[in-house]
Amino acid sequence: MSTISIEVVYRGIFQKSLAKNICRGIVLAARKENKVGTAFGRYGDSPERNGVPAKNFAVVSDTAEELEASLAKYEPNEVDVSIAVDDTLCKGVESWAWYGLQPINKLLKPNGTLLVTANRTPEDLLKHIHKKEYPYNLAIVKGMASFSGLWVYKDDHTDVRILGALLKICPGLVSFKSLEQAILEEWKNELKVTSARKSYESVSVRKVQPTEGSDEVPFEFEKPGWKEMKEGVAIPGIPLGKEYHSEATGQTGGYKPAVNPYYKKYSARTMRPVVLFDKCIKCTLCWLHCPDSCFDVTPDGHYDVRLESCTGCSICADVCPVDGCITMVNEAFFDDNASEYEAWKKDKTTYVASVTEKIKNPQATLRSHGYRHRGQYQEEIAQEKEASHGSKG
Amino acid sequence: MAAKAEIAGQAAKTPTDIEHEELISGSEAIAHAVSLADVDVITAYPIRPYDTVMQYVAKMIANGDFDCEFIVAESEHSQFEIVKHASAVGARVFCGSSGVGWMYAFEALTVTPALRIPMVAMVGNRALDDPGAFGVEHNDALAVRDLGWMLIWVDNAQEALDTALIAYRVAENRKVFLPCAICTDGAFLTHSQYSVKVPSKAQVDRFLPPYKRDDLLLHPDNPITIAPQVNEDWVMEIRKQNDEAMKRAKGVIAEAYREFKEVFGRDYTNSMFIEEYMTDDAEIVLLGMGTISMPARVTVRKLREQGKKIGFVRLKWLRPFPTEELRKSLARFKAVGVIDRDYSFGSPSDGGVVFNEVRAALYPLAKRPLMSGFIAGLGGREVTIENITQMVEMLEKSVQIGKAEPETHWIGVRE
Amino acid sequence: MPEPITKDEVAEVRETLQKFVPIKGVRQVPLEEFFTSGHRTCQGCESSVIMKLMVKAAGARTIVLGSTGCMYVANTTYYSTSWVTPWMHTQLGSAGSAAMGTAAGLKALMRKGKIKKEPINVIAFCGDGGGADMGLSAISAALTHRDYNLLILLYDNESYANTDIQVSSLSPWGACTSFSPSGKAKRIMHNRWKKNVVGMLAAGHTECKYLATGNASDAIDLMNKVRKALSIGGPTFIHTLDPCTKGWDYDPMFSHELGKLAIETGIWVQYEVENHKLRMNGISKNIAEGRTPRKPVKEYLLKQGRFNHFIDEDFAYFQKKVDEQWEQWWLPGVIPFAKETEAVKK
Repeated sequence: MSTISIEVVYRGIFQKSLAKNICRGIVLAARKENKVGTAFGRYGDSPERNGVPAKNFAVVSDTAEELEASLAKYEPNEVDVSIAVDDTLCKGVESWAWYGLQPINKLLKPNGTLLVTANRTPEDLLKHIHKKEYPYNLAIVKGMASFSGLWVYKDDHTDVRILGALLKICPGLVSFKSLEQAILEEWKNELKVTSARKSYESVSVRKVQPTEGSDEVPFEFEKPGWKEMKEGVAIPGIPLGKEYHSEATGQTGGYKPAVNPYYKKYSARTMRPVVLFDKCIKCTLCWLHCPDSCFDVTPDGHYDVRLESCTGCSICADVCPVDGCITMVNEAFFDDNASEYEAWKKDKTTYVASVTEKIKNPQATLRSHGYRHRGQYQEEIAQEKEASHGSKG
Repeated sequence: MAAKAEIAGQAAKTPTDIEHEELISGSEAIAHAVSLADVDVITAYPIRPYDTVMQYVAKMIANGDFDCEFIVAESEHSQFEIVKHASAVGARVFCGSSGVGWMYAFEALTVTPALRIPMVAMVGNRALDDPGAFGVEHNDALAVRDLGWMLIWVDNAQEALDTALIAYRVAENRKVFLPCAICTDGAFLTHSQYSVKVPSKAQVDRFLPPYKRDDLLLHPDNPITIAPQVNEDWVMEIRKQNDEAMKRAKGVIAEAYREFKEVFGRDYTNSMFIEEYMTDDAEIVLLGMGTISMPARVTVRKLREQGKKIGFVRLKWLRPFPTEELRKSLARFKAVGVIDRDYSFGSPSDGGVVFNEVRAALYPLAKRPLMSGFIAGLGGREVTIENITQMVEMLEKSVQIGKAEPETHWIGVRE
Repeated sequence: MPEPITKDEVAEVRETLQKFVPIKGVRQVPLEEFFTSGHRTCQGCESSVIMKLMVKAAGARTIVLGSTGCMYVANTTYYSTSWVTPWMHTQLGSAGSAAMGTAAGLKALMRKGKIKKEPINVIAFCGDGGGADMGLSAISAALTHRDYNLLILLYDNESYANTDIQVSSLSPWGACTSFSPSGKAKRIMHNRWKKNVVGMLAAGHTECKYLATGNASDAIDLMNKVRKALSIGGPTFIHTLDPCTKGWDYDPMFSHELGKLAIETGIWVQYEVENHKLRMNGISKNIAEGRTPRKPVKEYLLKQGRFNHFIDEDFAYFQKKVDEQWEQWWLPGVIPFAKETEAVKK
């Protein structure tokens, strides 16, 4: 008599098919053992938006009666396993569907497991994962986050590798045999079984104590009651912005828009624009073309990324006419949303040195972020295979 | 003034500075009220029978007697959406429709109460298609009964005019801010002329304060966001706000009738939500909405000549529903027959909408009258004295045997 | 007695118009944001750039009406908004009605002295579903009311993107959508060619003084079009093509580039019809005047996952249709009447 709940936290659209595949795989495998299960996306996350964190769930029970306790719900109250299919989600998730930032381990039961796809060490991930009041496990499936789009799926076996690892960390779920059958039925691909087995054998797990993790207090939002809410479904608009005040220089000028205080959006980001201000020719294009209006205009006419608002779409880097002025760097390499401009103004040498180090790291600037041209995923998969063989050799 | 005279035969006939009497239809009466209320934006789209109100409005504008933005929309949906948005920027608005036209606007009708838009609309009640029919049936207006629209049925042209003024006062009261539909039976009220006292502009100005949206006004001086998308975290609270507004409407309506008597002299204070006729010593009463009151009252008088203790109750406001008033009134009778000029296929007891609502309202009473429902007058069929006499006879029979069986009767249908 | 209405209605309309102040280059773009950060759109959402530029050009004294779609659902999620200007939702098919109702309300209140007489811009936006499908009739009606100052902006991301990417009448031929997936039996499910919205509206609404197409990749051009539309008087219309990272399936980094490529391939034509005079703009002008050759459409199609199933004959068909629009239409890229003699020659 038991119920096992699993959530997959993923990047909207980019990993929609991946998350769905994982949750379906869990339930299909459980059916091989006469268990019953349900797989569903968090309804409020739909319509998903590219990059915006979303959730998919799989709940497996021994009996239909047990499963009923998990039905007609948007999400389980707690989960045995949380799967983050992109390690940058470890900084917390702000979904389309709720208000505030949720720690990635929020729904995790005591001694449950957080499973992350990452090329980083557990210690590195724990710099960003919020502290939990009780112990849990952290498991890592080695690899880069797998991103594709709505119509073309990048079948790099991430789905089955997660499933293989899941069986290892959650032995009560199903036998590997059942998973194998489910994979063959669903994908008709022996190679996927091999990938699942490799992952089953190689997943690393380590205990996380309540003392470990980030101390950041995630921002929250308390919902008012009907008497406090304005009638007529009306809410106050955003006020006009003000001049930018630079702490580092003491100068005031330019423009800093007021922003929506209840939705910050940065948890949608996997890469952030890093600006080498010395190269900037102040052409305005990053500012003009930013869909999220996240460039503040500084008193001296530079454009400072307001990182709390930036989703990391990379349009700024694309439209920037100066080579190397804006570089997109993986979010995992940063610990906060502090202003780049202020850091630069405060100490140019330190800023440039720190930024240059990251820009030069190929791991930090590697980008796989959806469809660029036909055949690209096959090329990427081949390259990844080569890289992993290389590392083994 | 020369320009006006050129419009053949339609010189202004409406002195608005003094109260005076005119021979006008229910539609024309409402048009007068709309003009006296200095409505800012009106939208029209043709469909019988409500469109007569817009014909009168158009004539008043053409003659220079009334200044408003008059837009002939390209559909009822647009018609209601246009005034909804005009109201959001602070304009007093008027609109209306009939039958399937009202249903074509249904999406707009659903959003209007939730946005707390105090739109006043006239429904010229008409049967729904198919088959296409012009005659009165109440299913059009009844379709919005759950959505936050205030609904009132009137039975004569004077009441139509007076109610239109009351509707603006109630709807635009910040405690309410809900739309109000004045329901008028097609042909019998929309197309029949009657002697009506048209009040003066000064009286109306005294009665009707300007429409103020204050902090809900959509204007660059008050930059708000209206109607963002919501998820399950918010919908119940928003519905609750509407529910409370509708509950508050009853008190505001009562206050408006009292003030109306002060300003205009006509007294509806004893018949605000329901109007009773010869019920003092009655044992059996019939209840209905709209112009069915005419043959009903004639029948009551006729049967009383025969010594029968019969009465009639006219239900005026269906929303907000006068639960307490009806309980107080109907509990004292032996039998109540509800005449529905509507249908609700497959409903409890296969009864009409009003029958089931009234019956539900009486359920908590310890002493309840016997109740029967009568479906009659559909598609504009006349409800005759014979029909109503037949209803009374059925009620008498149920009093004799101590139960109402069957509970619903179709009256005046060919077998 | 109210005064008879004898005023010059056209003069009344002009009194409440803002003056046209062109933006000459990026340095003159206003710093203020009236559509700001914190909306819940996709990474790289080009339609939100359109929103931003639209209100930036219009300024603070603007009321914006938004019909159902991404720019409604994603921008305003209850208790949070990104709008600095007053903003109100309108139903999916109601952009035209919302604009008209708002303009009529303001006009009546100003005329009657109930509110201050001043220029207040009214802009209603709709997506391709709200504009070219459901809302077409109301937009058409609005464009005939010459006494209301309003702008309707159709932001076209070529599908019902907010409801999960279903095909609309502005989805391009052959594109994968959730209602037109490519399958084993049918490679091409969506076999209708995209509606030509501005051409259709311009031809049929002779009182409309300004209609234009736009694209976020030419930001200054778009902002000036918005300003022109809001200052010319009467109802006006702008149609923008907005690359949609989600529905078109591409790396969000290339939103801007794809918009530009749509123009360079001649799939999207940048033009304006001002007081009935047709003017091609930017790259489209160069193409029309033969100074810049059109890029092959394949370059554009290969960069999007929604065309991943195209085979050679699909690319060829698409190219042929675009060629026709440039080589055989009487007004290239604008009005699809072929020049009979030319067509015969070909």
